[in-house]
Amino acid sequence: MLTQQIVNGLMLSAIYMLVAVAFTLAIGVLNFLNFSIPGLFMIGGMVAFGGLRLGLPWPLAFGGALGAAALIALAVERFAYRPMQGSDPETPLVSSLGFLVLLENLMLVRFGSDQQSFPALLADMNLRFGGLVIGIAQLISMALSVLLVVWLSWFLSRTNTGRQIRTVAESRETALLMGVNMGTLVPRLFVGSALLASSAGLLFAVNYQQVSPFMGEGVGFKGVAAMIVGGMGSIWGAVLGGLLIGLVEVLTISTVGANFVNISAYGLLLLILILRPQGLIGQPPSREKL
Amino acid sequence: MTFLSVCDLCVRYGRVEALSGVSLSLREGEIVTVLGANGAGKSTLLRAVLGATPSQSGSMIFNGQDVTKLAAHERIARGIVLVPEGRRIAISLTIEENLLLGAHLRRDMVQIKKEIEGIYERFPNLGSRRNLLASCLSGGEQQMLAIGRAMLARPKVMMLDEPSLGLSPLFVTKVFDLIKELNRDGLSVLLVEQNAGKALAVAHSATVLELGRVMMSGDPQTLAADPRLQEAYLGEAST
Ligand SMILES: Nc1ncnc2c1ncn2[C@@H]1O[C@H](COP(=O)(O)OP(=O)(O)OP(=O)(O)O)[C@@H](O)[C@H]1O
Ligand SMILES: [Mg+2]
Repeated sequence: MLTQQIVNGLMLSAIYMLVAVAFTLAIGVLNFLNFSIPGLFMIGGMVAFGGLRLGLPWPLAFGGALGAAALIALAVERFAYRPMQGSDPETPLVSSLGFLVLLENLMLVRFGSDQQSFPALLADMNLRFGGLVIGIAQLISMALSVLLVVWLSWFLSRTNTGRQIRTVAESRETALLMGVNMGTLVPRLFVGSALLASSAGLLFAVNYQQVSPFMGEGVGFKGVAAMIVGGMGSIWGAVLGGLLIGLVEVLTISTVGANFVNISAYGLLLLILILRPQGLIGQPPSREKL
Repeated sequence: MTFLSVCDLCVRYGRVEALSGVSLSLREGEIVTVLGANGAGKSTLLRAVLGATPSQSGSMIFNGQDVTKLAAHERIARGIVLVPEGRRIAISLTIEENLLLGAHLRRDMVQIKKEIEGIYERFPNLGSRRNLLASCLSGGEQQMLAIGRAMLARPKVMMLDEPSLGLSPLFVTKVFDLIKELNRDGLSVLLVEQNAGKALAVAHSATVLELGRVMMSGDPQTLAADPRLQEAYLGEAST
């Protein structure tokens, strides 16, 4: 049964991984801890839920959820991030937190604060290997998450835009002098990060079949923890951190009980912070502050 | 014909006025050098011409076009390119990626690849390490990479901000030889230098800045003989 727990843990890991990558993209390139990301995660699940409830076919509902998250990310960039440039780095953090609260309350007004059950799309199709049960939805979700991250990593390392993004991450000043157009690059980064977070929310809704206006909070903070465990600003660090936190969580539930989940997940975070403050595969902070 | 003309340019950083009405002109195919003490405003001038530092007033005409309101990336696309002070190589990118970064506004991949090979031929030290991180290069090699990166942007006028600073005498000579060679091939150059003697020797025209104003400008031989300049820079540079 341990194998079954690990399979379940991997699903959770995939979700944490996407959220952690969304955070790490914002912090690694823009030095911005974007606290609207848990809100965008929730939007991914809730808007899709709302769309399905209106009777939309799932591709439309899902597309609408991702589109809504992208638009909100543009608003966060425009109203929380851009005006605060040049002030303290903490200011946009607080205003992005404002966006999280705003989004949660908008959804609360529309759908109420209760957990809602998300319709099952692939009605109980399971693969069985001996005693092991893997849901088709689970399998597809994990494959999609991994594909997304692999694609992102390829994009950053091999394309023209990816090189520009890495230059901005190293030094905004250098990027400016090389003619990187920050006016279009920054909103694109926000949208990219929002698409990762809202896809994670969608996959969460499809797999656990429940949504609520506050679904982003627990997962969002675990995503931050995963990012820090792996090393801030590193994509593969976020992947590793997500993997560890997800597995630790599921194994804790199955061994000592659900009450210990946060103790072990955040305990791991503290342990890593003490032993290796830069995270498992992060570099010690040496580069110029953005 | 004037290729680049800067007219009455004013730049301030908060309360500090870094440039107060600087004018300068460069003809196509010329090397113009800008000299001045630390803090005179030389870097500010180049950054304002690039569009990376906003100007309060004044105008910049390049190639018959008013570029005063254009952003840096638009000016670079038109051929105004900067080799920045301190080189500013992206050390988390490989040497080849730095060159590609220089070409990021272009789309002609085949030609870009050809030009990168050309750079490797010119600087075998870069070619043999093309896939290593640029942080492995020495200061002089980084300067060559910075110039190579600027060449990949297809410059019509290349601005260099103290390219010989901190380099060994061998590389100083290399840098100046390269500037002369690029200029012989038709590139216009706006050169900021601390090494006034060497800069005046290659330039067709020179301007001296002092506290954000043009102190004198004209023919480099005349300036080199001017007692004020002799005292301020050349005395130091020749020791
Ligand atoms: N970002 C900035 N913020 C505030 N003041 C600045 C800034 N950059 C430059 N200055 C000021 O503007 C003036 C001109 O600086 P600039 O860097 O253009 O001089 P420079 O001639 O290039 O000097 P150096 O030879 O030392 O490179 C100086 O007084 C400098 O302190
Ligand atoms: Mg300077």
